[in-house]
Amino acid sequence: MKKFSWFDLINNTLLVLVALLCVYPFVLIMATSLSDGKAVVAGSVYLLPKGLNLEAYKYILGNERLGVTAGLLNSLFYTVVGGFVAVLVTFMTAYPLSRKRLIGRYTIMLLFLFTWVFEAGIIPNYIVYNGLGLVNSWLVMILPMAVNTFLLIITKSFLDELPYELEEAAVIDGANDWQIMWRVFFPLSKPIIATISVFNAVYIWNQFLIPMIYLQDRSMQPITVILYNMIINSSKGGTSLENITVNGVQLLPQNLQAASIFLAVVPILLIYPFTQRFFTKGMLLGSVKG
Amino acid sequence: MSSIVKPTTSKNSGLLKRMWDAKILYLILLPGLIHLILFKLLPLFGLVIAFQDYSIFKGILDSKWIGIEHFSKFMSDPYFWKLVRNTLLLAFFNLLFVFPIPIIFALFVNEVRLSAVKRFVQTLSFFPYFISSAVIVSILYKVLSPQGGLVNQMLNLAGFESVFFMADPGWFRPLYVMLNVWQLFGYSAIIYMAAMTSIDPHLYEAADIDGANRFKKIINVTLPSISSTIVVMFILAIGQILTVDLDKILLMYNPSIYDTADVIQSYVYRQAFASDGFPNYSFGAAVGLMQSVIAFVLVMMANKVSKKYSESRLF
Repeated sequence: MKKFSWFDLINNTLLVLVALLCVYPFVLIMATSLSDGKAVVAGSVYLLPKGLNLEAYKYILGNERLGVTAGLLNSLFYTVVGGFVAVLVTFMTAYPLSRKRLIGRYTIMLLFLFTWVFEAGIIPNYIVYNGLGLVNSWLVMILPMAVNTFLLIITKSFLDELPYELEEAAVIDGANDWQIMWRVFFPLSKPIIATISVFNAVYIWNQFLIPMIYLQDRSMQPITVILYNMIINSSKGGTSLENITVNGVQLLPQNLQAASIFLAVVPILLIYPFTQRFFTKGMLLGSVKG
Repeated sequence: MSSIVKPTTSKNSGLLKRMWDAKILYLILLPGLIHLILFKLLPLFGLVIAFQDYSIFKGILDSKWIGIEHFSKFMSDPYFWKLVRNTLLLAFFNLLFVFPIPIIFALFVNEVRLSAVKRFVQTLSFFPYFISSAVIVSILYKVLSPQGGLVNQMLNLAGFESVFFMADPGWFRPLYVMLNVWQLFGYSAIIYMAAMTSIDPHLYEAADIDGANRFKKIINVTLPSISSTIVVMFILAIGQILTVDLDKILLMYNPSIYDTADVIQSYVYRQAFASDGFPNYSFGAAVGLMQSVIAFVLVMMANKVSKKYSESRLF
């Protein structure tokens, strides 16, 4: 048995409070979204929902004018397709760059690094994307995100560490580079693939600036932009909400906004257990080794 | 083996032969290469519009060249210096809090002996990192709302008047910094906690024998042991000091708080994408180029200095 110590008691209590503070805003939003508007307007919702009901979610998801359902589906589509493309292209870029036989690999890596550190900026990007026809095209949420230089670096350093003998053995067996990459190195790269999948998915799901600039067409906007127009920009021509009563439950804009915010958090909650395992590793790999 | 590796007479044909042998590797690299050219290199050439009177209808080739006119224009504009001041102040306050808090947090988490508590604290503390700024700022608007937001409710209960935080220029910097601290401290602490796991336990035993208490051990054993990590992270942070979180600023600011909230990048954004007025791509690109050059020099210097301190570096 360890000795009781005041230090431990105070330290543990404070840290648990700090940790709770990190999730409290989300708890508050969830409680608000599940409460009756009367309780919300009375200011009595702090932790648990008062007058528990799902009307706000039913209203939000069933009301096309608000665009929340479309926004969530758009975000999901961009995240899944964009995430898949990004993992594929990143791995297929990192693999050749990790082979010493590839002439020019240093130059290519240097160009990736240089463009990472020296940003052209949003306006030159816009001019190029516009020329490529990406304005108001869903591809703007996929193609520019295909290679994230940071993820390329951590994938390449992972592949650099795998023994070269694996490749030699496969060559003797008569395999070509395409087969070696997919049959020998890809299965061994599962940890790094998991890491960059999660990184990319979170990165695309959370995009705000790119869709703000490029996706003016409301039917293509992801949930982040929908939220902005509903909550932050509502007084300036955004989406307006009214007080309504459904099935005896009062729905205030606060309820509906809270429900929309919470819906945008749900997918992150679902993959959070995985992020924990992989993100930590990936970040250490990336920041320590580079 | 000499029959396989033939000495080549010409160096050039040897090079081509080696490239030809790796042809499948080059094909595999093709998508990444196209991405590099289209999305990373081409925009750099797009920067030439900073020296033009660019019109999106004429294109880069037919637009008029005007040299450094845009640069001299904004250098002589007092508003530009206000933007520089706002950018630097925001970066400074951000560094002042966002940098040390994860270290302090990591030091105390490291002292937790109950692994369940430790895991609980870690798991919850880096949740905000994964949430989009759009969501976080939306919640901030709700919590700080003058109409029934939690914070104003508390203020009213305590007998104070409601404050319209999001429209008060004085509140922008504290809110931006607090939001960044809250979103990043748990995640940033990971690297320090990892550094702490490699501290030799004998050092703590020796300190015990010397009669050191917990605080003494934190100050005299743990902190010195992670000092090289701290130095490296600090140098990298200095290198990226000009990198403001543009998403967050665009989400948080409005014309009533431009006085403190408008920074170089948000100004560049408005030059091109504001709904009111005609987009001024060239001028915006010139301002953006200026910022990129300074940021680039800072990162390169930081990288050079951090190489001196340890093996770890940015690249």
